[in-house]
Amino acid sequence: MGVAKRLDSPDCRGFDLGQAVAEAGRCLLCHEAPCSKACPAQTDPGAFIRKLRFRNLTGAARTIKKNNVLGGACGILCPTARLCEKECSATGIDRPIRIGRLQRFLVEHAWKTGFNPLEKPETRRKEKVAVVGSGPAGLACAAHLARLGFPVTVFEARPEPGGVLRYGVPEFRLPKEFLQRELDDIRALGVVFRCGSPVRGKGAAEALLKKGFKAVFLAPGLWAPMRLNSRKAAGVFSSVDFLAAQREGRKGPLENALRGKPCAVIGGGSVAIDCARSALRLGASDVYLLYRRSFAQMPAEEDERLEALQEGVHFLVLNQPVEYLCDPKGALTGIRLRKTRLGRPDGSGRRKPEEVPGTDWTLEVRAVIEAIGNKAPEGSSQAYPSVAVRPDGLIRAGEKDGRTSKAGIYAGGDIVRGPDLVVRAVSDGKAAAKAIAAQLGVRA
Amino acid sequence: MSAKKVDLSVEFCGKKFLNPFMLSSSPVSNSAEMVGRSFDAGWGGVAYKTLVTDRVPIVHPSPRMHGYDYGDKKLVGLQNVEQTTDRGLKPNLLDIAYLKKHWPRHRVMASIMGFSNQEWADLAKAVTDAGADMIELNFSCPHMTVEGSGCKVGQEHDLVEKFTTTAHKVTDLPLIAKLTPNVTDMTIPAMAAKRGGAVGITAINTVKGLSEVGLDDWVPRPNVFGKGAISGYSGPAIKPIGLRFIADLAAHPELKLPLSGIGGIETWVDALEYLLVGASTVQVTTGIIHYGYRIVEDMIEGLSDYMAQKGVSRVQDLVGKAIPHLHETGQFDIKRQGIARYDMDRCVGCGQCYIVCRDAGGFALEWDEKKRRPRQVEEKCLSCMICGFVCPVQGMISFKEMPKAFKRRETITLGRARS
Ligand SMILES: Cc1cc2nc3c(=O)[nH]c(=O)nc-3n(C[C@H](O)[C@H](O)[C@H](O)COP(=O)(O)OP(=O)(O)OC[C@H]3O[C@@H](n4cnc5c(N)ncnc54)[C@H](O)[C@@H]3O)c2cc1C
Ligand SMILES: Cc1cc2nc3c(=O)[nH]c(=O)nc-3n(C[C@H](O)[C@H](O)[C@H](O)COP(=O)(O)O)c2cc1C
Ligand code: SF4
Repeated sequence: MGVAKRLDSPDCRGFDLGQAVAEAGRCLLCHEAPCSKACPAQTDPGAFIRKLRFRNLTGAARTIKKNNVLGGACGILCPTARLCEKECSATGIDRPIRIGRLQRFLVEHAWKTGFNPLEKPETRRKEKVAVVGSGPAGLACAAHLARLGFPVTVFEARPEPGGVLRYGVPEFRLPKEFLQRELDDIRALGVVFRCGSPVRGKGAAEALLKKGFKAVFLAPGLWAPMRLNSRKAAGVFSSVDFLAAQREGRKGPLENALRGKPCAVIGGGSVAIDCARSALRLGASDVYLLYRRSFAQMPAEEDERLEALQEGVHFLVLNQPVEYLCDPKGALTGIRLRKTRLGRPDGSGRRKPEEVPGTDWTLEVRAVIEAIGNKAPEGSSQAYPSVAVRPDGLIRAGEKDGRTSKAGIYAGGDIVRGPDLVVRAVSDGKAAAKAIAAQLGVRA
Repeated sequence: MSAKKVDLSVEFCGKKFLNPFMLSSSPVSNSAEMVGRSFDAGWGGVAYKTLVTDRVPIVHPSPRMHGYDYGDKKLVGLQNVEQTTDRGLKPNLLDIAYLKKHWPRHRVMASIMGFSNQEWADLAKAVTDAGADMIELNFSCPHMTVEGSGCKVGQEHDLVEKFTTTAHKVTDLPLIAKLTPNVTDMTIPAMAAKRGGAVGITAINTVKGLSEVGLDDWVPRPNVFGKGAISGYSGPAIKPIGLRFIADLAAHPELKLPLSGIGGIETWVDALEYLLVGASTVQVTTGIIHYGYRIVEDMIEGLSDYMAQKGVSRVQDLVGKAIPHLHETGQFDIKRQGIARYDMDRCVGCGQCYIVCRDAGGFALEWDEKKRRPRQVEEKCLSCMICGFVCPVQGMISFKEMPKAFKRRETITLGRARS
């Protein structure tokens, strides 16, 4: 079957040494490498590919990990086609160097050979720093500060660290052991994780400053799902719960709801694609991806869309959900849909979908996953009342240093940018670490 | 051990080098502007482009180099018809003095070549006065057009001794003889240099070669307006030859001089191999011609990490470590035998092993046409290992020793003895 075959394909595995050397052999070793300029976290592919090319594999791993503590995860998860690989000069000859896969290989190779590129700091400093949230932004900030010798405590609401990498991105894209290795590298720097410890309640962040932390980095991400405005029905999940349940090993109820049944995912972003592909793996008989605009307009990355298509997801574009239909017991039986067509461009420059009157129809499904976006939970900003937030709940913070309106409190990642990328969260964490170090008198 | 604790500095002929990595004498070390940038990039020293007296003006042929590619691999070798420096002696001496003034911790070895006894003396004195740390006597350029110079000297051992003695009389600086590989036994000129007062040997200069011929014009490359020449060949292709000569010199019972290894070095691995067979510094030209000075960054980092992982803290402790393992082929223990081991789970079914084993090996493989897989008949395997060389799956075919009882089948004879 399609899914099984794809899961086995070499694309899901990393390169081996021979493949990596051959791929690096294609690199043009550009002067002022454009790929390096295109990486939001300054992971510096131009340098690590050159190092690989000159058999300096340890140095290559060091470059990656020093610049980007989540270099392994980024190697897998970055949409490289629109980041580093987009700028690759080799495209002018045939196709870009597969930078993400080389990056993943180098990190895995270091693990395999027992080489730890992140050396423990020689100086230990006194000033404690608190990080709220252990997603990519929090992890990057913590690791960079720890490397400078600061004692860092990461407060995480959930039982395990990782943020979206742990409770969002499905296992088939980012294996748990892989994430574990990457977290171990960070733990080895001396970062302390306090899991199951949400920083919530009025003024909880400011309280950390009073408790002796010299700086606080807020990186709680966006974990409140936006929901469709329709009647309640049993069998309707939010993407957050649906994905988290799988990563928490609570697959049973989901399998009961999906196995052998038709189901639908609403949304056109990367999260929707992850939900659709997960639904296939849970055994749904048919998975419909419902999107009100066109295929080309989907925000999901092109390669993800194509993979989902190949795995057998049915793309139902130019359709808008109207309401859920239930049996008398309240269990979902279908969705009423209305067809749309593309009209004039809207504010975002994309052609706006317009409903076509009189085209309602019913799609029979037994389960629905809503993947239409996440926001900050209602009232979550109470935890940091002195920090200026926007009406939509996002924190206002400096782009280059993560400074908020409150001295000593910094922020970054999705809570500042809105839904974005792992690599940009890493970049925010690094930038904030640098600013925090500077505040504490250390030049990073 | 942490890579930070590793000390890459090394002593060579009484002088301390920050690290063993040097530019060799060639266009990469042609001026202070270039060499200064290389020092900033991390190189520990330089053998400055060979100086001559201004008596005969040097004009290089044009074009002066040709790149030799293998498939899509660029520059596995480099052919050149370049001569010694084409800059005047004075500007070069000023440049050497400038380098010593601005980079006092870096080592500048002046390379010189005379065309007569007097010139050797004049040059040795001039570079000593300019402040060079040491002198490399170039007895090895393969395309000097003047008799009594270049590798023509290197091949005449009494001249090597004579010119070294001459230089030795006018300077206190360490003298290092750079020798040509275009001889069968390099230890003879090396011993001659030692008798003349040399305290170190550099090897190798370029190997005489002819890398390519134009198919339409029938002119060997580089094509210098219709003419080609047998000339100096360098780069990765000559590394095995360079390693061999350094090992020969290191293993010689009487020579016992510090060595500077050259030939095809691009990475820390190449450099390390030269150290292991007895060099204490290494020099690079073609690697820089191919990639620029930046490659030294990976040499430094790669060698430091290697040493940290091996728990070796000083470069000196690596020098010559391979020599005790070097033997005459007659000393091998041929009672121990093995075969090629196939990890069939990883086979992709290309069948290249089958082709070469049949046409160049022991015909030890059968081919399953349906499954597209080889099947090995162990007793027929010669352990030549050629199947492993062509296999595209890394590590799928490896060598394994067989038990004492293992008996290899004899090759079939088709002819019949007349009765
Ligand atoms: C399903 C999914 C798939 C994605 N796929 C990709 C991809 O392939 N490539 C890519 O680049 N990006 C992807 N993204 C986006 C990317 O994951 C995010 O941009 C990134 O994780 C943001 O990092 P962050 O550190 O800001 O927040 P998060 O990763 O959201 O981490 C925030 C952490 O803070 C914790 N937290 C929240 N509130 C509190 C509190 N009050 N106290 C303590 N802890 C708290 C949360 O539990 C969480 O662990 C994906 C996102 C999702 C949802
Ligand atoms: C273009 C060119 C010019 C060279 N000129 C000199 C020279 O002037 N003096 C000298 O001692 N060696 C000269 N060499 C030889 C190099 O120093 C070196 O011994 C040789 O190229 C082998 O090393 P490699 O494989 O790193 O290039 C020259 C080599 C090249 C390629
Ligand atoms: S841009 Fe492409 S070819 Fe150039 S260094 Fe980066 S990966 Fe290599």
